[in-house]
Amino acid sequence: MSGPHGRLRLAVLAGFLGAGKSTWLRHALHQGGFGGALVLVNEAASASVDDVLLGRATGLEVLDGGCACCAGRGALVASLRRICDRRLRGAPIARLVLETSGLADPAAITQAIAEDPVLQHHILVEETIVIVDALHGLAQLREEPLSRRQIAAADRIVVSKLDGAGRPAVARLVATLCATNPAARLAGSIMGSEVPLPESPGVAPEVWVDEARSSEAGAPASPGEPRPPPIAEALDPGGPDSWPALSLWLSALIHARGDDIVRIKGVVRTPRGPLLLQSVRKVVQAPEILPEGPQTEQARLVVIGRGFTRAQLLRSLQRFAGG
Amino acid sequence: MCANCGFPLAQEHWTDAGARSGFERLRGRLLRAQLLAPVLAAYGLGVYDDGTGPSFTLSTRTGSHVLVGDLGELWTQAERLAGRAIDPLDQRFAADEGQPG
Repeated sequence: MSGPHGRLRLAVLAGFLGAGKSTWLRHALHQGGFGGALVLVNEAASASVDDVLLGRATGLEVLDGGCACCAGRGALVASLRRICDRRLRGAPIARLVLETSGLADPAAITQAIAEDPVLQHHILVEETIVIVDALHGLAQLREEPLSRRQIAAADRIVVSKLDGAGRPAVARLVATLCATNPAARLAGSIMGSEVPLPESPGVAPEVWVDEARSSEAGAPASPGEPRPPPIAEALDPGGPDSWPALSLWLSALIHARGDDIVRIKGVVRTPRGPLLLQSVRKVVQAPEILPEGPQTEQARLVVIGRGFTRAQLLRSLQRFAGG
Repeated sequence: MCANCGFPLAQEHWTDAGARSGFERLRGRLLRAQLLAPVLAAYGLGVYDDGTGPSFTLSTRTGSHVLVGDLGELWTQAERLAGRAIDPLDQRFAADEGQPG
C-alpha cells in the first residue's frame, strides 16, 4: 500500500535490547501483517543473527555495523535511498518495516528521514511500534533514559512476554506506559500472538526524575522532584482557513517547548485537503495529504506533553491567530 | 539559488504544505507575516514579507535586518535578535483575560 502521493510507508519497530522485537515481527509477518513488506533489520553489533529468524518476509536486508540512529545513520539513509530508487524503477515494494537495534531512538530515525532532502519526499513514517518486555520493562524505564525515549515516540506499544511476569507487575508497567505516552495504543503479546492486557484501574504509575533535565539545569537529580506525567490535549484545528495561523503557532510552540512536547499528531484541514501532521519532540515529519474519507472528516489535533495546561494552549493559539 | 538574496533553493518547510497553488502558498505567507507582526512587535522586532524573497525579513529597531528561510529558522533568529526566548505559552500570550500580562 503506497500513499496517495506515492510515498513509501515505513513502520519503525523499536524496543529495548531483548524486548522481543524479532519474535513479534516474525509472528506479524506469518499472520500476513505488513503484506508485501520489505524488512530492513538493523543490528548494533556487526554480526547479525536476526535475519536467520525472519525468513518469511517478502524481502529482507540487513544493515549491520552500527545503530541506525547514530553511528549507522549514514548507512540507513543510503540504504533507504537505494530502496526508494529500486521502487521507482518498478520493484514491487509495497511497504517497509525497519526493525531497529535495541539501542536505537526511533525519534532519531524519524528525524533522519524528515531531514534528508531525498527521503522526505519518498518515505512516510506510518507507525512507530515499540515492544516492551513485561518482566524487565519497568526496570529499563526506570534506569535507561533511552527506554523512556522509545516509549515516548511510540504510536503503538506492545507489552511482550506477558506470561513471564506477574499480574501486579504488569499492571504497574501498563499504568506507567499510559502515563508516559497517553496517546499510544497498548496491546499485549505472548510469543508474538496478541493477548489482552490485564485491566489496571487505580494502579499508580511509577514516576522518576529525568536525569537529562536535572543535569542540564546544573542541579543534581533529587528524588523529591519527579517530573509531572505528560498530558494529552485534543484541540480543534479549525477549517482550511485556519491552517496558516495554526502552523505558525505550532512552529513557535515546537521551537520553544519542543523538549516538553512528546508528540503532536493529528489531521488538520488545508485548502488541498486533510493533512496528516505528526511530530516527535522538535522534529516534524513532512506532512501528507490524505484522501477524503470518513476517517479524515473529523479534523483533530492532539498535543502530548508536560509543563502546560489546556487553557494555556487554547489562549495562546487564539492570540497567535489574531484573536 | 535565489539570485537576489543568495539563499539556496529552499526545501519545503512543513508549514508550507497544504497549498493547492502558488497563489495559495503566497497568500499563506502574507497572512503569516500579518499574524506575526503583533507577536514580534512585542519583542521589538519587525517582520516583512512581500512575497518576492525566500521568506520573511526580520528587523530590529536599530536597523539590523535578517533574512530567514522558513518558519523553523524564524524563531531561532527572532530570539537571537530579541536577546530573549520567545515562548508562545508565557504570560504574554497564554495569560488569563483577567490577569495582567
